[in-house]
Amino acid sequence: MNIGNRKHIPTINEYESRLADLYEEYYDKIARYVYVHIGNKEEAEDIAGEVFLKALKSLKSYREQGIPMQGWLFRIAHNLTVDYLRKMDKRRTVPIDSVVLVGNDNPVDTAEKNIEFERVTEAMKQLTTEQTEVINLRFLGGLTSKEVGGILGKSDGAVREMQRAAIEKLRGIMGVEK
Amino acid sequence: MMTEDFDRILDECIDRINRGDNVADCLSAYPAYSERLRPLLQSMHDIQKTYTFAPSADTKRAARQKFHATLGKRGRMTPVLSLFRAILRPAVWGTIAVLVLVLAIVGALVIEPVFTPTTLVPSPDGNFAFLISDEPNDIGDFESLNVTISRVGLQAAGSLKRLEFRPETATLDLTRLQGERSQEIWRGNVTPGQYSQAYIYVSDVTGKLKSTGQIVDVKLPSSKLHLSLLFEVTTDAVTSFTFDITVVATGNNGKYILKPQVGDSGARQEQRRLG
Repeated sequence: MNIGNRKHIPTINEYESRLADLYEEYYDKIARYVYVHIGNKEEAEDIAGEVFLKALKSLKSYREQGIPMQGWLFRIAHNLTVDYLRKMDKRRTVPIDSVVLVGNDNPVDTAEKNIEFERVTEAMKQLTTEQTEVINLRFLGGLTSKEVGGILGKSDGAVREMQRAAIEKLRGIMGVEK
Repeated sequence: MMTEDFDRILDECIDRINRGDNVADCLSAYPAYSERLRPLLQSMHDIQKTYTFAPSADTKRAARQKFHATLGKRGRMTPVLSLFRAILRPAVWGTIAVLVLVLAIVGALVIEPVFTPTTLVPSPDGNFAFLISDEPNDIGDFESLNVTISRVGLQAAGSLKRLEFRPETATLDLTRLQGERSQEIWRGNVTPGQYSQAYIYVSDVTGKLKSTGQIVDVKLPSSKLHLSLLFEVTTDAVTSFTFDITVVATGNNGKYILKPQVGDSGARQEQRRLG
């Protein structure tokens, strides 16, 4: 028996420490991930904070069975988002009619941003649920295809294929030249 | 086959863009695919631009403080509660009895030297240096933050063997050790091999606030702060291990917590001085 090769099983304290380290890098990404689904920045930020508290409370149930901690955080974010949408009785994607971007820019810029937001959101709504998750986790969560595969229960090859098909579909809807 | 290749290249470009490269860098790396890649990466750019926003600094700070406050509470409560619960379980008594018996038989011969850490003495020409640094979080709130370290320990990888030493410089002001700055607190000879943990025993923390000049309460998750990081000590190089500590506000109650920061800690090796 080679004791040197035995996999180190982290303690709860080590998991806590790792979670605290992930906070700075992943809080923003999780907020953006949630924002795509619910279309409300303030609520998305609150849910991002809730994700870390929930993770802290559930650390005992977390075991690294092929899914790294950042992937697990997005899984929690997904579940909290679903709960939120159920509560709000909303549909899966951004309710574009209710979203109005408000910024410090001049009214023309803000109007252009709103049009662009609607264009992209409308295109995103044409994707399947899994394609939306892949795009969201890859582009806004910054996860690798392997990590996304761990969350969705797919191989990284399947994720890469889904990703390409999803972007081609988006390109077809949005067009390239603006 | 071609599609699989393209999927892989597209995936790599997305990874590169996520790491901060731009679209042009990726296109120039794959000129044969650039015509097909360009519109897809442009779509990625549009989506990221549309949905990317910077969360409000105030909301993020409040959420961080709530998270660290919960973390701090767990640090105080969990060991006590879990020990109490464990004592109540009859099955635990059986296990303890067996364990005590085994330890009684084997302990005197084998276990005792392994559980007792070996205490090391300092040496200016040693193969190991231990440094302390501070990752800036809420350190800006402090005029001074003196941390007294009574002991430092290293845990050998894959065994129960521990080495400990008393720092030559015991009290440090963390406000002077921010970012890239660090202070060596011990240098000496450490048994070559792989180590999986470094830990420090903090005996006292005294923080003075910039804003009020008051001495403030700085909590510790435990008197022993540890980092799990695999590193190697060799005979032909000096291994410098930097243990990074950070102070974080725990809420709006004026309390702070001191904790190890794994991201900025670690070991590096330098050629050993000759002679």
